[in-house]
Amino acid sequence: MFRGRGSMTPLGSIAGAVLAATPWRLERRLEVDAKRAALTRIGGAVGAMVVVGILLLLTGRNAFWIFWQALDAIFGRQRGIEGVALRAIPILMTALGVALSLRMKVWNIGSDGQFLMGALAAVGVGIHMGGPGWLVLIVMAVAATLAGAAWMLVPALARAYWDVNEIITTLLLNFVALQLVTWSALGFWRDKEAAVIQSTREVAHTLPGLPGAESVTIALLFPLVIAAALWWVFRSTTIGYEIDTIGGNARAAGFAGVAVRRRILVVMLFTGAIAGLGGMLQLSAPGAQAMNAGFSAQFGLSGFIVAALAGASFWGVIGGGVFIASMFYAGIVLQTKGLSVYIIFAIYGAILTGIALGEIAARYRMVRRRADAGAEAPGPPGASEPSEAWGPSAPAAAAEVLEAGS
Amino acid sequence: MILAIIENAFLSLIGSAIPASAVVMLAATGAMLGERVGVLNLGQEGLIGIGAVYSVIAVLSWGVESPWLAMLIGMIAAAAAGLIFAVCVVAFRASQVLVGLALALGGIGLSNQLGTNRNGTPIQTLFREVNPGGVLDDNDLVSAFLFHDPVVYLAYIGLPVVLWFVLFRTRHGMNMRAVGENPAAADAVGVSVTGWRIFYSVLGAALTGAGGAYMVLSFTPTWSPDIARGRGWVALAVVIFAGWRPGWAVAGALLYGSMISLDTTAQARGWGLPFMGASDLSFFLSMLPYVVTLVAILIPAGAVKLGRRVRSTAAPAALAIPYSREER
Repeated sequence: MFRGRGSMTPLGSIAGAVLAATPWRLERRLEVDAKRAALTRIGGAVGAMVVVGILLLLTGRNAFWIFWQALDAIFGRQRGIEGVALRAIPILMTALGVALSLRMKVWNIGSDGQFLMGALAAVGVGIHMGGPGWLVLIVMAVAATLAGAAWMLVPALARAYWDVNEIITTLLLNFVALQLVTWSALGFWRDKEAAVIQSTREVAHTLPGLPGAESVTIALLFPLVIAAALWWVFRSTTIGYEIDTIGGNARAAGFAGVAVRRRILVVMLFTGAIAGLGGMLQLSAPGAQAMNAGFSAQFGLSGFIVAALAGASFWGVIGGGVFIASMFYAGIVLQTKGLSVYIIFAIYGAILTGIALGEIAARYRMVRRRADAGAEAPGPPGASEPSEAWGPSAPAAAAEVLEAGS
Repeated sequence: MILAIIENAFLSLIGSAIPASAVVMLAATGAMLGERVGVLNLGQEGLIGIGAVYSVIAVLSWGVESPWLAMLIGMIAAAAAGLIFAVCVVAFRASQVLVGLALALGGIGLSNQLGTNRNGTPIQTLFREVNPGGVLDDNDLVSAFLFHDPVVYLAYIGLPVVLWFVLFRTRHGMNMRAVGENPAAADAVGVSVTGWRIFYSVLGAALTGAGGAYMVLSFTPTWSPDIARGRGWVALAVVIFAGWRPGWAVAGALLYGSMISLDTTAQARGWGLPFMGASDLSFFLSMLPYVVTLVAILIPAGAVKLGRRVRSTAAPAALAIPYSREER
């Protein structure tokens, strides 16, 4: 059906066709440095937002103007800045968990579930335990961390020892966690006095506020400290180096004596623990001390996008987290101006696509064609015509390779 | 006596599970089609939404009166979204995981946005149940088991048989598998890896869109936000459970569907347990489909690890790995 064509590399043929009329051509870079890749990812994300903005403009909504107003409303006032900080805390915590697993090329899509389970454990401790507030908060944090890790246990064991793809297993557990939280809010820990929104009973204690802030607590320091700690681990310790080796080539790491499976298990549990602690931090903010079915406003997804944008760099996560948290908060403002909450999902989708394309763009560069070679070499190197003589025997050859390969 | 009760319970459970997971079956077949040629499309959840919302739009706004035409429109819309995905990941070799998740998010957002004004509007253009001569009445268990919409037969019997035959009994299918297992070899014998991957992942997206269309044209039958409710992810899990074999997907989909119908049956009849009230049981049962699906994924891998010989349940070797001659 498609035989005969497809002689060139896909990107090469498209780019070759586009660039044929110009004196430029695409060339593959031999090495891609991290800084350039980060820049192209950001470029992709911004480009995607511009495309969405133009699409909205075509439907008669000036998204650029609305968005500018939203940003103005956020950064013009202390309340707006604190609103971004409040949303940045859960997003940063889930993003740090995802970024840590990405160092190993493991995708943790279940940070929403781990976040919820952490918060659920914290609520359980908070409404049942007596004693001084500081002690209760510490036990809540420990319980949340353990619950987040425990929620990761089955996917981590399955991935580490049975090679079961972690994307689907972590994601399915999100649905289970959501049902469990709904159950707690409407069932076993339900606050019978609350009439309007059904939720669990409220935890009496909150973390102390940051000096000078109205609503932001010291919870904001946690993601910063964790990011610094992770950065140090990956810069200066053997464990960090081993994890990066697994991310580069797990087989090679195994031959080099790294306990690959155990490392995968432990790192995955850590990613769950960080997200779980994030759930407790969210719960200990003033005004958010009870859980309802909408407790996690897709913080895990936002965190995933942050980690993808940052490319598993922990300082990048902080920057990307603030960016996505502002978007998130702007989205709440946008809703009052006639754009629905669903638009945010669509924008997230576009941004993620932009990041993925930006990642690819970093691998290429434009070079000027040499005057003499210009006519003869229109495409990138490596493109050669396959022989048509294979013809009828082709499937048989494919079968041989299939047999040999399996 | 007891045997008869168990048999009845089983029949009614499976009977209501069949339509409940026809969506999963269609999406799983679509996902499997793409994965067999090496393209992992995590966007099933979004594709179901897009297929569903465009069928709703076709019926409610464009006045389409045939459910088949409405479904076709849903399929075309999902295929268009699948084409964007395929161009990004196959032609530009962007990360299949990232763009797939982007498609899931974008598809959910777009479909919810488009469906906003149509929430809860009942849909009259429906698929008709096949019931030859009206011999059996609706309450009969056997009829609940056997007689469904034509789409259900296509999803459970037609598509798996065709896919199995093409994949394992034709040269074309052998080439498809070669593209998914060893694209360099397929390329060397003149199969256009890019072309096949784009074509089959777009076709798979259309099938998933058909699943979404079936939801609104028969199962629910109305639009509601987040219409897929995790069925897209379950479909991806079913593909793993099935070991990329079309026939086994039927078992996976029915497993999920019977958990769903267990939940709805328990809710409708107010079942309870001695240590668990009716409402608590229903909360517990609504977690069960996802837990069971999770356990189901572990079965093939676990069986291999525990020393059972399982025939070819491994993923296509080149799944989610972009192919490029430059990198050979």
